[in-house]
Amino acid sequence: MTNSQNNSSVVDPRGPKPRKIMSRRNIILYGTLLVVAIYYLIPLYVMIVTSLKGMPEIRLGNIFSPPVEVTFEPWIKAWAQACTGLNCDGLSRGFWNSVKITIPSVFVSIAIASINGYALANWRFKGANLFFTILIFGAFIPYQIMIYPLVILLRDLGIYTKLPGLILIHSIFGMPILTLLFRNYFTTIPEELFKAARVDGAKFWGIYFRVMMPMSLPIFVVAIIMQVTGIWNDFLFGVIYTKPDTYPMTVQLNNIVNSVQGVKEYNVNMAATLLTGLVPLTVYFVSGKLFVKGITAGAVKG
Amino acid sequence: MFNKVQLERFFVGSVMLAFVSLVLSIVGIKSQLFQNIQYLLLFISSVIVLLIGIQSKSINFFSNRLQKQILGWLISAICSAAIWAFAQKGIQSIFPAIMGYRKAWNTLEPFALYATVVFIMFALMLIIIGARDTKIDRPGYIERFLVYNLSSKIAAMPMIFTSIGIFIIATLWTIYHSFTNSRMLPKSDFIGLGQYERLWSSDRWYMSIENLAIYGVCSLIFSLFIGFMLAALLDQKTRFENTFRTIFLYPFALSFIVTGLVWQWILNPDYGVEKIIRSLGFDSFVFNPLYNADIVIYGILAAGLWQGTGFIMCLMLAGLRGVDQEIWKATRIDGIPMWKTYIQVVIPMMRPVFVTTLVIIAAGIIKVYDLVVAQTSGGPGISSEVPAKYVYDYMFSAQNLGQGFAASTMMLVSVLIVLIPFAYLEFGRRKYD
Repeated sequence: MTNSQNNSSVVDPRGPKPRKIMSRRNIILYGTLLVVAIYYLIPLYVMIVTSLKGMPEIRLGNIFSPPVEVTFEPWIKAWAQACTGLNCDGLSRGFWNSVKITIPSVFVSIAIASINGYALANWRFKGANLFFTILIFGAFIPYQIMIYPLVILLRDLGIYTKLPGLILIHSIFGMPILTLLFRNYFTTIPEELFKAARVDGAKFWGIYFRVMMPMSLPIFVVAIIMQVTGIWNDFLFGVIYTKPDTYPMTVQLNNIVNSVQGVKEYNVNMAATLLTGLVPLTVYFVSGKLFVKGITAGAVKG
Repeated sequence: MFNKVQLERFFVGSVMLAFVSLVLSIVGIKSQLFQNIQYLLLFISSVIVLLIGIQSKSINFFSNRLQKQILGWLISAICSAAIWAFAQKGIQSIFPAIMGYRKAWNTLEPFALYATVVFIMFALMLIIIGARDTKIDRPGYIERFLVYNLSSKIAAMPMIFTSIGIFIIATLWTIYHSFTNSRMLPKSDFIGLGQYERLWSSDRWYMSIENLAIYGVCSLIFSLFIGFMLAALLDQKTRFENTFRTIFLYPFALSFIVTGLVWQWILNPDYGVEKIIRSLGFDSFVFNPLYNADIVIYGILAAGLWQGTGFIMCLMLAGLRGVDQEIWKATRIDGIPMWKTYIQVVIPMMRPVFVTTLVIIAAGIIKVYDLVVAQTSGGPGISSEVPAKYVYDYMFSAQNLGQGFAASTMMLVSVLIVLIPFAYLEFGRRKYD
């Protein structure tokens, strides 16, 4: 686009105009992108590098220099020995708590939200849109205003500070965005299929399990990706609705790193941070485009 | 005198009323009010039964719909009566075995009272509303509510429960209690606007608001600008687009805690950026955002932007892909430079995307909490406090619930200020999907 000097040529060249690889435009474009990409990658690099160094090396060198002596000691320490308060069994407890929270929460919230979305898309009843609008508004309301009544609710149910309580909370607060996701997807499924199933005598649940669910596996995968990363990364609900024994990984990580007692071991801290980020990062890199689809599908129509 | 459907309603209603008064008389209600109602109900139902008796020829008592209605109401009547009876003394003397459970079921008494009241109300409503539909001879609202599309309604129960039971009631509960003097436990000791006066005279709250304003404005401008620039760069049929996008977006998969801790480490003055620049020879170089009360919020902003801009870029990229590609050909033929096309054609076309993105960013900003906790814990001093942290600290650490409720109500108000114009613009004009 920038070089338009050859408009005086008499013989028309055929085919698309060849582009110079090292044109000014390309240098600016890829140069900018590369610089920004490096900026984005630096924190990850620093995390990895720091977690592989020993403490003496950290004190002497700078944070960007690669480790002279690679050691996995900090990783082992972060996993099995790092202290939060009186407990010194490392992040492993938080990790297993997070697993115990995430798996049922993902399952429950997706089951509920998909059925809600299905009812909203195909079996709309009077007043359904009102509830749905309230639900979507609820996604924007600051959680802080609903925290304490929910503490009371969980206490009355006897699951406050227990894992089922947190699972319930995640199912509730995951509902708006997931319901929107499923509703929007189910409305794109041709209505003829739904009608055909009805003619064949299928009822509400029959159509859901035999027609809708098998046809919408991609959106289920997207929802699983969204929920796994979302719930794993949650901090606010974890710190409110659990106690030290049941702290999820993010809360425990924050307690380990920001604890005031003892000598700060930066390499252990960074190893712990990386360990916590590892699960969502794995999900992100494995899922690739589905992750993008999930976050944009939830947002663009909301 | 009456037509068929009206009489049906009367019949169902009178059966129910008679049943209620029967239950009330069996159970034996001590309250003066209920004793009078009991006779009233008995009187009304006997009048209605009499009326029906006169005209009974015109009613088909075995019509499918009537049977269904009567069955449904009988079941609900029996249920509420059973709950009631269980809590009453009269029935205990008949079945002494129940006596032992009485204590455990004490709590049910208000519920049973409630159930009975609801039941009576329903009976009245059935007569009133049911009668309204007689002209077109179709089932009344209640029957339609209970029978039509029932499995869908059952399936949507969690949604209804969440939207009404949690989002509405919990919000109202908090707003209500923000006017009370609750400390350790919520109580209904009204002090008017006292909590709000305290809130707005607290330095810490002012600091939180100021920080949120700086963080909000900056992150709005920068993330929109950077996000759009990156999206525009990636939209030039760029090679390795996927690689770049993966790199820009990966921080979004990380939690705010991880983000905050990494940036805390990078901005650490003893080991981080400051030390490196100093070791290059600039001995007096100072760069310690997290330990300088004046600029600490910008340190948090840097981390927040690193985490969230990739997401904005993705939204923008989706928006750019939604723009008609013919536009580019048209403007190229007209010889309009690219940057001008972006500003004058493409951005106006992407208005809805920008509005949505704006709302998403704004809703995210008000919730900022984890990042601050991880990066600075509100320090140094109170210089990086945010409203969400204020709420949490007053509710769960300072044992001053009233303050927490008042602060969270203020947060809600600020969100509504953003949200209501948006909702009006987006959904006010056209019907919701």
